[in-house]
Parts: sequence; C-alpha cells; structure tokens
Amino acid sequence: MKLEKLRYVLVAIILAVVLSPLYWLIATSLKSNKEITQDGTLYPHEPTIENYLNLFLHKQFADYLINSLVITSVSVFLALVFGTMGAYTIARFTLPFNLEKKTGMLLLLLRIIPPIIILIPVYLLMLRLNLLDTWLGLIITYTSFNMTFCVWMMESFFREIPIDLEEAAMVDGDTRLTAFVRIALPLAAPGLAATTVFAVITTFNEFLFALALTATPHAMTLPRGTATLIGRIDTDWASMAAAGVLGATPIVLFALFVQRHLVRGLTMGAVK
Amino acid sequence: MSSSTLGNIKLKAKDIDHILPYLLLAPSVLIVLCVLVFPMWDGLRASMMNYKYGNAVSFVGLDNYRRLLTDLQFLNSLWVTLKFVTLSVAIETVLGLALALFFQHEFPGIRIVRTIVIIPMVITPVVVAILFRLIYASDAGMFSALSLLFGGQQVQILGQPVPAFLGLVALDVWEWTPLMFLITLAGLQSLPQEPLEAARVDGASSWEVFAHHVLPMLKPVLAIAMVLRTIDAFGTFDQVFVLTRGGPGEATRLLSILGYETSFKYLATGYGAAMFVMIGIVCLAFAIVALRALRRVQP
Repeated sequence: MKLEKLRYVLVAIILAVVLSPLYWLIATSLKSNKEITQDGTLYPHEPTIENYLNLFLHKQFADYLINSLVITSVSVFLALVFGTMGAYTIARFTLPFNLEKKTGMLLLLLRIIPPIIILIPVYLLMLRLNLLDTWLGLIITYTSFNMTFCVWMMESFFREIPIDLEEAAMVDGDTRLTAFVRIALPLAAPGLAATTVFAVITTFNEFLFALALTATPHAMTLPRGTATLIGRIDTDWASMAAAGVLGATPIVLFALFVQRHLVRGLTMGAVK
Repeated sequence: MSSSTLGNIKLKAKDIDHILPYLLLAPSVLIVLCVLVFPMWDGLRASMMNYKYGNAVSFVGLDNYRRLLTDLQFLNSLWVTLKFVTLSVAIETVLGLALALFFQHEFPGIRIVRTIVIIPMVITPVVVAILFRLIYASDAGMFSALSLLFGGQQVQILGQPVPAFLGLVALDVWEWTPLMFLITLAGLQSLPQEPLEAARVDGASSWEVFAHHVLPMLKPVLAIAMVLRTIDAFGTFDQVFVLTRGGPGEATRLLSILGYETSFKYLATGYGAAMFVMIGIVCLAFAIVALRALRRVQP
C-alpha cells in the first residue's frame, strides 16, 4: 500500500518534469515580448496568436513545412521500398560467401555510427553534383540514412514469419517473387508500419545535414528554418517559443498517434 | 517432368529465382555504397589534404592528425565531449534502471507514464534546445520567473561555464532517460520469473534478488542500451548548436561543434575532416562492441 502511494507520487513527479518545459514553451509562445521580459508572468495574461501569424506571414514557415513534408515522405518511401526488398534477400536467401549476412552486418554497422562523421564528404559530394540547397540533395541523403535502418528492421520482421507459408505458396505455383509479394509482404505489414513511423520521425527531425546542405527557404526544412530564425532573433523570445511549438507539434502529434509502433524502432530491435 | 516445354518454363522461372536475391538487394546496396561508404573513404582522403577557402590545395599525409594532438582547443573539446558523454549516459542509465524497477509491475498509472515519456524522445532536438533556452533564460526563463516569485534573484545558467555545461547535461538527461527507461523496462518484463521466485522462497531479500539475479540477467540489455546511447551521445550536435553554440568560452564545445565550425565557418575542411575521422574511430570501436552484443542477444 505504501509502495502504491509512492508510485503515484513518482508518476506526478515524472509528469511535472516532462510537461513543465512544454508548458513553459507554449505559455511563452502566447505572450507578448513585453509580458515575457518585463512582467515575468507564469501564464499568459493577455494571450495572443500574433507570434504564430508572424512566422507564417513574414518568416516563410509555410515553405519550411512544405519542404519538410516533401523531403520526409519521398525519402522514407524510397527507403521503405528498396530497404524491404533488400531485407527480404538477407532474411530468406543464402548467397555465395555468406554475402547476404555480410551485407546485413555492414548496413547495421553504418546504422550505428552517427552520420556526423560523413558530413564533410556528403557536402562535397552534393557540391560536385550541384545539389546543394535542393530537395533532391536532402532526399538522396536521407534515403540512404533510412535505408540502413529499414533493412535492419524489416529483416528482423521477415525472420519472424514462418518460411513454411512461402514454401507452401511456391508448391501451389507461386514464384519466389510472387510468394514474397503475396505472402511475406502482407504478413510483415505491422513491421512496415513500425519502420515507417520511426523513419518519419528521425527524418523529420534531422538538422545537421539540413544545416550543411541547405541555405535558403527554397529547400530548408522545418528544424533548419527554426534554428536559422532563432539564430537571428536572439532576444525575441515570443517568436522563438512560437517557432518551437510549430517545429515540434506535427511530429509529437504523429508520435503520440502511433506510439505503440515506436518503442521497437527506438531501441533498434534490441528489445522486442 | 521430362517434357522439354515444361522443363523450359521451369528453367526460366528458376533463372529469375537465381538472380532475384541480387535484384532485390542491389538498389539498397548501391545507394548505401554511393552515399555512405564512398563518402567515408572520401572523408578519410579529405582529412589528409590541406584546404584553402574550401578547395583542396595539397596532400599533407598525416599532418592534420599530428596537429590535432597538440591543438589545445581540440584536446579541450575532446575532454568536454568525454565528460558530457560519460556524465549523461551514467545518469540516464541509473535513472532509467531505477524507474524501470519501480514500474515493472503493471498498475494503472504506468500507461500515462509510458505515453508521456515518449514526448522528449520524439520532439525535434532543435526544439528541445529551444525549450531549455526558454527555461534557462535569465530574463524570460521559467527558473527566473519561479525564483522571482519566491523573492529570489534572476537565475544565470547559460552565461557561466559550469552551469551551462550542467545545463546541457540536464537537457540530454531530460531527452534520453525515457529511452533508457523503456529499454530497461522491456528487458525487465521479459526476464524469466522462476529463478527470482526460487530465490525469494529461499529467503533472499529484495536487494539480494536484484543484485544476484535480476542485474546479471539484465546485463546484456543494459550493455546494448548504454553502448548505443554512448555512440549517439558522441554525435550530439543539434542541441548544443541551438542552446549555446559551444559557449560560454569553450565550456560546451563538443567535438561535433568544433568540427563543424572548423570546416564550415573557418573553411579548414581537411582539418575538420580529420576531427570527424577521430570521432568516427571512437564510434566504430564502440559500434563493433555493440554489434557483438546485439548478435549474442538476437541471433
């Protein structure tokens, strides 16, 4: 009974620690700068949505949002299609020299190492290809980042599907390809969902490569645009807070909506 | 079976089956080779060149690396990074484990906790940094507002070296403790219960059960989580870039920030590349450890 009470106290503390910074962000975004710095109020006394309107009307936030949505969806889609194909090979075929196992290990290794170490060469590559400050430059980069992840995740999902089902389908006249498309793929749908969710979140949130590879609202993503804005307006707390809310809302809503698919992706399948 | 037409059709289908695995694997491998593997090699090459204003002018071999070893700014940055990674990961692991032990048995509140703790992990890291700038700000910050409310003074955090560094660690702990908590919780709940029951029947105290049975069984999961988190922490960039840009002074200048500024602000591309190669080597070492552990847990 005592433990039970202690648990609820702990739940309250966790809620406070997680939510109070979020509360402060949202509250600040609804205040005027005068109220923020001079009055130091704990909640907005005269709530205003002017800070938000400003971002859309004068700071190109609509452009950033569109860039983010296009770049994220295209690169995640490409990585899912190609990654699922590759994962199927690694999970189901035995190639000469254990090629499929070695490829799997290489992709996983590339996945674990933080991408920052190839920042300069990727920048030089996009410079050479004339793809700096374009959608395509970021799409190519993010597709490859997602690829390693998709292969790793989908492979572990394919391994959980009993191979007998595909074998039975092949006895009934399916080829390996149609058995893959008709049998294995639908059964791996929950895995596909989990992989998509996680890839969308990491891609949408990516900042470092967007910082190096884009320079104008032509291709800047939401995190990139947000960081640029607050780089310029050091003391305009109200705009900064509103930018923060806009930058985070789409992805937080998305994550809460699909949360049951999330944990496995976050832990890279280490724990099921 | 021996009919030639039938045999032909079978042969054709089989031919496709033979090349199918390669066809399926080719696109992902090609993309990864072009955009990840080639750049790694290219980065290694760039780290052995001298760049002027972003153009490679001469091959200098290992000179950039030799320079790193006596570059006080780099060494300081390395030290800051090591402090940041060790402190953050240690706190996150201990806190995560403690929370997981506390919440391992299902009870109504756990669902709210699970939902809420997802938020810090999925919020855009740039926005996490904004959150903490707003909390820490001396004039507009939450801490200052609370302090003033209780008759105190404005709180200075990001303007002073030690508080700024600890403020960065606190940000990382806020953002990533939930991950350690969820991994450890999943690990705990998948442990076999029989040996624990047996130990309890034999009269072991809760602490003994934990130290002699739970912890050893949990070790592989904890190890993987710690190694993955450590590698990730070495690559931390966004949060520092927005929170402090490495300041005040050099207090929060992680290697990632130093490498970025060296190459993109001061255009010493080769020297910056050498720094990133150093980060890469450290991470690679950790990654190989992680891979071994992963393979052991998930054959």
